[in-house]
Amino acid sequence: MSETEPTLVVEDLSVDLGGTEILSSVSILARKGELVGLIGPNGAGKTTLLSAIRGSVTPTSGSVTVAGERISALSAREISRRVGTVPQETSLSFTFSVEAAVAMGRHPHIGRFGTATAEDRTAVSRAMEQTAVTAFADRPVTELSGGERQRVLLARALAQSTPLLLLDEPTANLDINHAIRTLDLVRSVVDDGTAAVAAIHDLNLAARYCDRLVLLAGGEVLAAGSPDSVLTSETLREAFDAQTIVSQDSITDAPRVTTLSDTEQTDDNDTR
Amino acid sequence: MNVQQRAATWSLWLAAVLAVVITVSTGIGPVSISPVAVLKVLLNALAVPIGLELTAHSIGGTLQIPAPSIRWHSPFGYAVGSTEETIVMRVRLPRVLLAAAVGFALAAAGTVMQGFFRNPMADPSIIGVSSGAATGAVAFLVIPVAIPFGLGLRGAAFVGALMAAFGVYLIATEGGRTPVATLLLAGVAIQAFLGSVISFLQLHSGEGIRQVVHWLMGHLGNASWEDVTITLILVPLLFGVLLAYARDLNVLLLGEEDAHSLGVEVERTKRILLAVSAVLTAAAVAVSGVIGFVGLIVPHMVRLVVGPDHRVLLPAAALAGASFLVLTDTVARSGATEIPVGIVTAALGAPFFLYLLRSREVHEL
Repeated sequence: MSETEPTLVVEDLSVDLGGTEILSSVSILARKGELVGLIGPNGAGKTTLLSAIRGSVTPTSGSVTVAGERISALSAREISRRVGTVPQETSLSFTFSVEAAVAMGRHPHIGRFGTATAEDRTAVSRAMEQTAVTAFADRPVTELSGGERQRVLLARALAQSTPLLLLDEPTANLDINHAIRTLDLVRSVVDDGTAAVAAIHDLNLAARYCDRLVLLAGGEVLAAGSPDSVLTSETLREAFDAQTIVSQDSITDAPRVTTLSDTEQTDDNDTR
Repeated sequence: MNVQQRAATWSLWLAAVLAVVITVSTGIGPVSISPVAVLKVLLNALAVPIGLELTAHSIGGTLQIPAPSIRWHSPFGYAVGSTEETIVMRVRLPRVLLAAAVGFALAAAGTVMQGFFRNPMADPSIIGVSSGAATGAVAFLVIPVAIPFGLGLRGAAFVGALMAAFGVYLIATEGGRTPVATLLLAGVAIQAFLGSVISFLQLHSGEGIRQVVHWLMGHLGNASWEDVTITLILVPLLFGVLLAYARDLNVLLLGEEDAHSLGVEVERTKRILLAVSAVLTAAAVAVSGVIGFVGLIVPHMVRLVVGPDHRVLLPAAALAGASFLVLTDTVARSGATEIPVGIVTAALGAPFFLYLLRSREVHEL
């Protein structure tokens, strides 16, 4: 693989689930050091696209290539050494400690009869330091707050030591403070040389943190490119069926999307 | 202390406890034998192979064919009464060892099932293994002609157990996927169905009713060295497979989607865990009848103490299950009349478990 070849190449990917086409001819790229935001309305296929990238959904056509290898040709174990996933939430009903939960990220690196090596332990403690969860390494995950648990899930994915990171709504259950802190963290991990694709609901957060955005609607890519080029009133109306005004945030310089409610639009129209 | 050290420490401790429990329990009975005497008998019975030798056997008085035979050496030669030796070796030891093996198997399978189903109410019989075994055994006792191939009581129970488990698996599987929730419900349905078959057979069991009830409540009274040998070979082998999957079981607790993204081949791992647990449970139930509670409560008790990591929990629960069943079976046979051990496991285990539940932080699951 050459330096310039993107870490993730999704080409013409189509996915059928139960006879319904969820994705049709989706193509996206993600390079090393690049955070790609997946935006779009509910049911646009964001989660399905992430599932297809990590091989847990089989596409009807098209291909996913990560670090030069076709995902469809790899075993679950081989995939999980190339693609790390931060899920939206996890069910961890048993009281594992934070450190044990993060160490599960090393599962694909340890053989069936093997035990954790020094390299595994280093990866775990580094991931915990990066996400600032070392302080509560011994606490049971069941006792953590939503923000802390999200950081543990991120640490677990970092411990996987993969060239590609997938994040499914990493901020969906977080307040604004924790959402910002989580995305800062993701940003710094990406800047250290990882490629990442994140499904993000909040358009303003997506605009602020992502290098490029991919707008999905009805299973198709409606627009892709820099946040400025993707977030326009026209594309947003087409994708979300909503009236928006896009301005520039005076502090972050990122595009800012203000959604108008139906009454506000009516008021506008009534103004003579 | 890392996980391997914790697993080793707990295992050694619990193995030592099991050794003491076995020695003391073997001494308890109508004829009381001191633990020291039991130990001497056990040591006397130890034999190590020290070499092969060829001995000439004469056939028809003319031809001499040398045949190899193993030379055994018994390093210990304590003086013990022959009555005591007979009681220990012929009567009590097979039963105690069988109790240990059955308790070990049930607790191990129960631990795996609770993790597998992510459900605190799961136990080894959840996929119909015990009901299947009971159906096979009761059918054998009531209508022996219905059991082909000359299977004995144990064979009928073993085959019944595996048929029920496999049936539940087939019903719950569609397109190569076996959703855990479907499996659970299919197991409950099959258990209910087989329960009605057993009840019907019981109604028509006539003279055999006592034997049927006895089997359904679980008993270890008919233990023979043959049972012990088969169980002691089968149980550690199957347990070894489960132990190799302990880390996968931890990851499966995160949910199947997460487990897949951490590199677990979910469906294949589930099939292996189910199959091995089913055979392990079937092997135990076939020789002991239905002994409830061990596979449900022992894993919970041990989890409260050692935590949820299966690399520590699985060996610890199995060893604790072995000690638990040896102790309860000793109580079961120590009264004026022997009672089925299944009654004792619940009667002693439930209050102890409730005590643990109240005295410690109640963990989720």
